[in-house]
Amino acid sequence: MAAVRLCRCRCRALLSRSAGALRARRGLAAGPEMHFGFQTVTEEERREKIYQVFENVAKKYDVMNDSMTLGIHRVWKDIFVHKMNPCPGTLLLDVAGGTGDIAFRFINYVHSVRQRQLQRKLKHHQNLSWQEIFESYQKDKFNSLGDSQVVVCDINREMLKVGKQKAQHLGYSEGLSWVLGNAEELPFDDDKFDVYTIAFGIRNVTRIDLALQEAYRVLKPGGRFLCLEFSHVSNPLLSRLYDLYSFQVIPVLGEVIAGDWKSYQYLVESIRQFPPQEELKAMIEDAGFFKVDYENLNFGIVAIHSGFKLHNENTSC
Amino acid sequence: GKRRGRRAVVRCQQYPPLRALQASAALRGASDEHKKEPWASSSQQHFDSPPAGHQPEQKPQGPHPSYTGQGGQESEDYESEEQLQHRILTAALEFVPEHGWTAEAIAEGAKTLGLSVAAAGLFHSDGSELILHFVSECNTKLSELLKKEQKLVQLGEAEKKPIDEFLRDAVEARLRMLIPYIEKWPQALSVLLLPRNIPSSLNLLTSMIDDIWHYAGDQSTDFNWYTRRAVLTAIYNTTELVMMQDSSPGFEDTWRFLENRVADAMTMSNTATQVQSTGEAVVQGLMGAAVTIKNLAGLNQRR
Repeated sequence: MAAVRLCRCRCRALLSRSAGALRARRGLAAGPEMHFGFQTVTEEERREKIYQVFENVAKKYDVMNDSMTLGIHRVWKDIFVHKMNPCPGTLLLDVAGGTGDIAFRFINYVHSVRQRQLQRKLKHHQNLSWQEIFESYQKDKFNSLGDSQVVVCDINREMLKVGKQKAQHLGYSEGLSWVLGNAEELPFDDDKFDVYTIAFGIRNVTRIDLALQEAYRVLKPGGRFLCLEFSHVSNPLLSRLYDLYSFQVIPVLGEVIAGDWKSYQYLVESIRQFPPQEELKAMIEDAGFFKVDYENLNFGIVAIHSGFKLHNENTSC
Repeated sequence: GKRRGRRAVVRCQQYPPLRALQASAALRGASDEHKKEPWASSSQQHFDSPPAGHQPEQKPQGPHPSYTGQGGQESEDYESEEQLQHRILTAALEFVPEHGWTAEAIAEGAKTLGLSVAAAGLFHSDGSELILHFVSECNTKLSELLKKEQKLVQLGEAEKKPIDEFLRDAVEARLRMLIPYIEKWPQALSVLLLPRNIPSSLNLLTSMIDDIWHYAGDQSTDFNWYTRRAVLTAIYNTTELVMMQDSSPGFEDTWRFLENRVADAMTMSNTATQVQSTGEAVVQGLMGAAVTIKNLAGLNQRR
């Protein structure tokens, strides 16, 4: 029974995926049909449904992440922030960053880099008096992040609420702000941020091309776009195992742990609907980014795409 | 190499007003040989047949060739990615004494150009590209210096130096370029020795040595070519290492060491010819002795 349903889902997936991908590539606003998992819905419906999905899963989001990926998602996010290699003074915009995983890692990273910087400075000044050392510590106590800041932006109020609670619980107060906003229409000015990240969020954006254009807009010249997302596994054996795990295990986990089969069914299907690495790379280049490349983690289960905004918009003809 | 750049400039001159949108003129002058023609399609290879004689190809890029992936989006108004990267690295050099050869220095350099600090992500986090860029720039400066001197000699305004003095001055001039960065140079040397960077750093080293010998007037086409390069490479590397831990004023110890090594090399080459002729003499002597013995033993006689 389930196998038959799976087969039918796959057939529809093939049709709707090609149509959906084509439309996504052309960025047609007129074509109202989009994919929601393996279903076909209008744009508005899709936004609503996705909002509901995340409203439902918000409280159990982190627990589910851990159980679905067996905790590996933490490693992925660590690698992601490591690749970013932010230095103190960086202004980060984390879009669809709801529960704040990337934001917290960013703050930790910048904090430790800053500590090392201060240590090095002190080592240089070997002849300071105790008074001077004391004063330098005082001064830098208020600058432990070196003016770095992260803005967490999410479209879903519930996810932001969970994130804020987590921040309070873990003791993150400095350099963090929470904004409600839509990735397709960011409430920020042009040329503001050093780094724009979107981790496991771009899959849920209805118009990816608009989100990429917005990313380009809000980044400073020289700014970096980083995207962490589930992607396509090319190895056929691994792909079979991965499909098996995704479709048979994850929705069950969803039902058992979060009491929500459908949301996790959507999640797994949306991963299949998402454009593969090369296609996403092409879309990022279309938005105007340079030096776009991607790095596969775990054979393509997850991929990190990176691009740079190299020119100022105002000088383009 | 330089020939390629000059040909590119001729074609560029057809559209002068569109070119200068973003770069400072001084840096453009320095980056002449790194210019990529904006409308050359990515598939076209700009490798003319190598010009006759020893013109060393100075490859400015480090281990990661940057690709735009935009396939020809570089229009006339924009400087290419490579030029921008080149500018960032040049700007980053002034922060090296403070931050070392790190991504931090590159980030500070990007800041001075008005770019975000995230632009340091364009490069490797261990600073390889920065170091290779610096080495390549130093080699270029050395070439220009040697070319100028050669011109003076050709015009008769200066005396042609004897070989050992020429080599000494060339190596000294090249090593003096390290002085502003001498504190962090050991770190740079270790990065250059990473397996990933060895092809590029070796390439730069050999082309520099080649350059020096070329201007020294070396026209050899036999095995001497290799021995000369090997000898000068050894002199250069050992002097560089001595310089790292030299604390004498004005690096006098280093220059004295250099003088002695070059002198050694000269005597060695004399010794080599001596050894060769001695060897020949010895062989002849042995042959003569053998013939004499044969004569004495009566074996040579034809009855």
